[in-house]
Amino acid sequence: MAMRELVTGAANCDPSASSNPFGALANALIGSSSKTQERLKEIPTTTPTAESQFFAQTEDRLRAIPGSESDQSVLPANAQGSEFLRRFHAAEHGGFADAWDEIQQANVPSIPHDLRVGINPQIQPTLDGPPQRVLSGLLHSFVDSSRGGLPFRPAQLPMLGLSEGDKQCIRDRSTIMARHFFADKNEDFINAQVNALLHSLDIDSDVRGKGPLTGRFRELEDYWNESQGMMKPGPHLGDAWAAEFNQHRAEHGGPDAWVNSFEQQHGANGWASEFEQQYSQLATVDQMGRVNVPSLAAMEQTRMLAHTLAQNDDPKFQNSKFLQFVSKMSQGELIIDDNQVKPAPVDWASEFQQQYTAGPSWADEYLHRGPDQWANEFAAERETKGALDDQWVNEFSKLHVNEWADEFGQQVAEGSFGDNTTDDWANAYSEFWNEQKQQSDGSRGVYVFSDMNPYAGHPNPLKEGQDLFRRGLLSEAILALEAEVMKNPDNAEGWRLLGIAHAENDDDQQAIAAMMRAQEADPTNLEVLLSLGVSHTNELEQAAALRYLYGWLRYHSKYGTLASPDMPESLYHADVARLFNDAAQMSPEDADVHIVLGVLYNLSRDYDRAIASFQTALKLKPSDYSLWNKLGATQANSVQSADAILAYQKALDLKPNYVRAWANMGISYANQGMYEDSIRYYVRALSMNPKADNAWQYLRISLRSASRDDMLNACDSRNLDILQKEFPL
Amino acid sequence: MPIFKTPFNGYSVKFSPFYENRLAVATAQNFGILGNGRLHVLSLPPSPAAPISEIACFDTADGVYDLAWSESHDSLLVAAVADGSVKLYDSSLPPANNPLRSLHEHTREVQSVDYNPTRRDSFLSAAWDDSVKLWTVDRPASVRTFKEHTYCVYSAAWNPRHADVFASASGDCTARIWDVREPGSTMIIPAHEFEILSLDWNKYDDCVIATASVDKSIRVWDVRNYRVPVAVLNGHGYAVRKVKFSPHRGSLMASCSYDMTVCLWDYMVEDSLVGRYDHHTEFAVGVDMSVLVEGLLASTGWDELVYVWQHGTDPRAP
Repeated sequence: MAMRELVTGAANCDPSASSNPFGALANALIGSSSKTQERLKEIPTTTPTAESQFFAQTEDRLRAIPGSESDQSVLPANAQGSEFLRRFHAAEHGGFADAWDEIQQANVPSIPHDLRVGINPQIQPTLDGPPQRVLSGLLHSFVDSSRGGLPFRPAQLPMLGLSEGDKQCIRDRSTIMARHFFADKNEDFINAQVNALLHSLDIDSDVRGKGPLTGRFRELEDYWNESQGMMKPGPHLGDAWAAEFNQHRAEHGGPDAWVNSFEQQHGANGWASEFEQQYSQLATVDQMGRVNVPSLAAMEQTRMLAHTLAQNDDPKFQNSKFLQFVSKMSQGELIIDDNQVKPAPVDWASEFQQQYTAGPSWADEYLHRGPDQWANEFAAERETKGALDDQWVNEFSKLHVNEWADEFGQQVAEGSFGDNTTDDWANAYSEFWNEQKQQSDGSRGVYVFSDMNPYAGHPNPLKEGQDLFRRGLLSEAILALEAEVMKNPDNAEGWRLLGIAHAENDDDQQAIAAMMRAQEADPTNLEVLLSLGVSHTNELEQAAALRYLYGWLRYHSKYGTLASPDMPESLYHADVARLFNDAAQMSPEDADVHIVLGVLYNLSRDYDRAIASFQTALKLKPSDYSLWNKLGATQANSVQSADAILAYQKALDLKPNYVRAWANMGISYANQGMYEDSIRYYVRALSMNPKADNAWQYLRISLRSASRDDMLNACDSRNLDILQKEFPL
Repeated sequence: MPIFKTPFNGYSVKFSPFYENRLAVATAQNFGILGNGRLHVLSLPPSPAAPISEIACFDTADGVYDLAWSESHDSLLVAAVADGSVKLYDSSLPPANNPLRSLHEHTREVQSVDYNPTRRDSFLSAAWDDSVKLWTVDRPASVRTFKEHTYCVYSAAWNPRHADVFASASGDCTARIWDVREPGSTMIIPAHEFEILSLDWNKYDDCVIATASVDKSIRVWDVRNYRVPVAVLNGHGYAVRKVKFSPHRGSLMASCSYDMTVCLWDYMVEDSLVGRYDHHTEFAVGVDMSVLVEGLLASTGWDELVYVWQHGTDPRAP
C-alpha cells in the first residue's frame, strides 16, 4: 500500500511508478527481476541490525539451548544458508535454491537500494511525520470509541492526500474490524461511527468495493438510470441498484451465477426472506424517518444474529445489528454515497412504494403466494428460460418502469392465488412486521402462535388436541392445543402437552416457550419441570436445566425431603446428581428418577452413565417411546451410532410419527458415514414436520456429503415432493 | 518477566520451535487499518530482569497480520501481510536480503499462516478473499487454493498428526475440515452463529478442535460428532480473537480477546476458566504457548507491548 505517499506527501517518489523518471530508471536498471522489484516497493529498513552482532548472538545461543531438536541448529549460523540450500537441491527444489542464490549474490552489489537512496534520500520514511501522526490519532480515537461506546467525533483534518487504494483500505479494514469489536452496539451507532471516520477522511462514493462495470451490465445500468431519471429526479438511485447488481455480477461472473450464488448463500428461500426482510426494514424506515437500513444481502446473518441475540440476556446485546453492517461495508455490498452509507435496494424499494402506494402491491402478491412458491417459481423460471442472462437483460431493457409496474398489477390480477383484496402496502406491511416481531420474540421464550388456526372455534380443543397427539398427528395436535391455551391461558395441562408436542416435533424453542407457560400456570408440575430440564439440556443450557431438574426433586412428594426447602443460589451439577442418586436408592423402582439421572449425566457428557440410567429406566418402562429416543440420542452422542439406531427404531415402532426420532435416526446414519440413508430419514422427518429447521440443515449437509449436489436446489427450496420421490424410505 | 515495546500495534506472536528463548512478533501500524508493518525476531534474556533483545526486524509496506516459524529451518519465517502477500524471511540474513520471497496471490488481506508441523515443507495462508492457499517453500506459486467459504477466512490450522488435514475458520460462521488430497472440504461445521475468528487443533487428540468467535465464546468440537460441541467456554467479554491449544496438556488452551484479556481454559473440568490475565491495556490479539518450555506464554496486543511470562505469574511483574 502506498504508505510512502502518505508519509512523504509525494506520490511520485515510488520508483516503480512509471510517471516518475527516477522510478523508470530504477526499473530499467533492475530489469526483469521481479523479486527485486518486489523488494523495491518495500520501505527500506531503518533498523540498525548489524550482521556480526546477530551471528555472534546466534552462536552463543546455540550452545545454550537444551531444547534445540534439529540437527541444523548445531551448525554454525552462517552455514545455515548453504545447509538449507543443499537440502533443497537434494530434493530437486530448484526454484527456491535459485531464489536463494540470487539473494546471496545480490548481497554484494545491492544496486537498487543504493540507487534509490542516493537519488532521493527523502524517501527514507520519517514514520512520524505530521500527516502520519494526524492519521494515527484519528484512527486511534476511532478504535477507542468502540470501547467506551462513545460517539466518534473526528477532528478537522488537513489534506492527507490519501490514494484511492488507501481509502479503500481504510474503509474495508475499519469496517471488517469494527464488525468484530463493536459487537454490542446498535446499527445507527455503527453507521455513525464508520461514517464519521470515512467522512473525516474524505472517503466517498468514489471508493467502491468492486471493479468497473462490464459490457452488458453497463447497458443495464444506463437503462435503469435513464428510466429512473424519467420518473423522478432522485439522485443515484438507479445507480446504486445497478451497482449492487454489478457487484454480485463481478463476484460471480454472470446472472446465472448470480442466481446460483444467491441461492447458495441464502437458500432459495433467501429470495423470499429477502422480501420479508425488506418489509421489516421498510417499517423501520417509516417509523424512524428513513435512517440507516441494513442491506438485504445480509439477511441470513440477520436472522442468525437475531436468534443469538434473543438467547443472550445481556441487554446491550439485544440491540446489536452491527455485525452484518460492517460485513457488507467491507465487501462492497454497501456503497457510500454523499457520505452516507446506503444500501441501494432499499431506496429502490421505497421508491416503488412511493409510486404504487395504492393498488395491488408486490407485497400482496408475495403474501398470497408464500415464500416457497415464490422461490419455486423463480427457480422454475430459471430452468425454463435457460439463457436467462440474455433474456433478463433484454426483457429488462425493453421495459419501461411503468410497464413493469403494470405487468405486476396484471399478474396479481390474473393470479390464481387466494383473494386479491387490494390491501394497500401499509396493511400488508404491518402484518408482516407483526409477524416478524412475533418471531423474534419467539426465540426469546415467548410462544409464537400459528396464524389461521382451524381449531379456533372448536368446542373442546384440549380433548381434540390430546386425541390428535395420541394418534401421532403432532402438527395438528399443536394447532388444537394452541386453540385450547388461547381460550384458557392458565391451562397448565394444555401448555404442557403443547410443549411435548413441539419437543417431539423437534422444535425445542417453542417447546421451552410452551413449557414455561405451563410452569407459570402450575409451578410444581413434575412433568413440566422434567420436560424443561430436558429441553434446556438439548439446548446446552446447563444452569437452566439444573434449576428445573432440581425443581423436579423439590416438588416431588417422595423426594422433596432430600432437597433443601429454598432454592440454592447456584446449583452444581455434582450436587444435583448426588441428590438424584440418593433418590434412586430410596426407590430403585421409580423409572422417573433414572430418567432424570440420565438427563443429568447427559448434561455433564458422562454418556456411559447416562446410557446405564436410561437402560435401567427402560427396564421399568419399556413402552416409553420418548425414553427410547433419549437412550438413542445419548448413544449417538457417545459415538455408538449403531446402537442408537436400534434405540430409535424401538421408539419409532412405538410411535411411528415421532419426528424427532426420525431426524435423530438420520443423524446417526450420517455420523456413520451412511449419508444416503441419513437423507431418507431426514426427508421422512421433514415430510411430517416441514418446519423442523434443524433437519433441513442436516439434510443439506448430508446431501453435500453424499455428493448429491443435484438435490441441493430441492433442499434449499424445501421442495419435499422432489426429495420424497428421490429418497423414498 | 520481560516486556518488549514494538513501535506498531501487535498482531501476532509465536515462539520458535527450535530455540526456547526466541520468538517473533508481527505488527502493523494504525491497528492494521493503514500503514506499514514490521516483523520482529526477539531473543529472551537469560534472566527475567534483563530486557528482551531484538535479533532482527523486517519492514513491510503494509501491516503484518500473522507469522509462522518454519518447522524445517530454524531461521525461516512466513509472514501474512495485509496487502495480500505472503512473504518468506530468513532471520539470519540482514534486512537487505529479505524477504526471500514474496508470494502475491491473495487478492485481499492475509490474516493467518500456519506451517505444516508434520510434513515440514508446506504452509497455509488464510485470507479475506475467502480462500485458503497451500504453499511449499520451493515453489513460486501456490500448490492449491481452497475456496469454499463465502466470507473472509480468518484462520487455517494443520492437524497435528495427519499431514494432509487442516481446518479453516471463517466469517461465514462455519469451520471446515479439509484433506488436501480431496477436491473439496470434507466437513462443514456450523460452529457458531457469529463470525469465527480463530481455531486450533488439540495436540493430543487429533479429532478435537476449538473455535473462537465474535459471539465471545470458544467452542470445542469433536469432528466425529459435530452436532453438539464438546464444550462451550464463556467468559470473554468481547469477540475472542485467537485460541491456541497447549502443546503440553491435552485439554488446556489459551485465548485472547478484544476484552483485552488473555485466558487459560481447561475444557475437561467444570470450572473451565483456569486463568485470566488482564495485563494488556488495548485489545489482546496474539497469544502463544511455548513448545519447548512448559507453561511459558507470550501475548501481544494493540498496546504495542509483547509480554512473555510463566503461567501463574504476573506478566507485568518485573
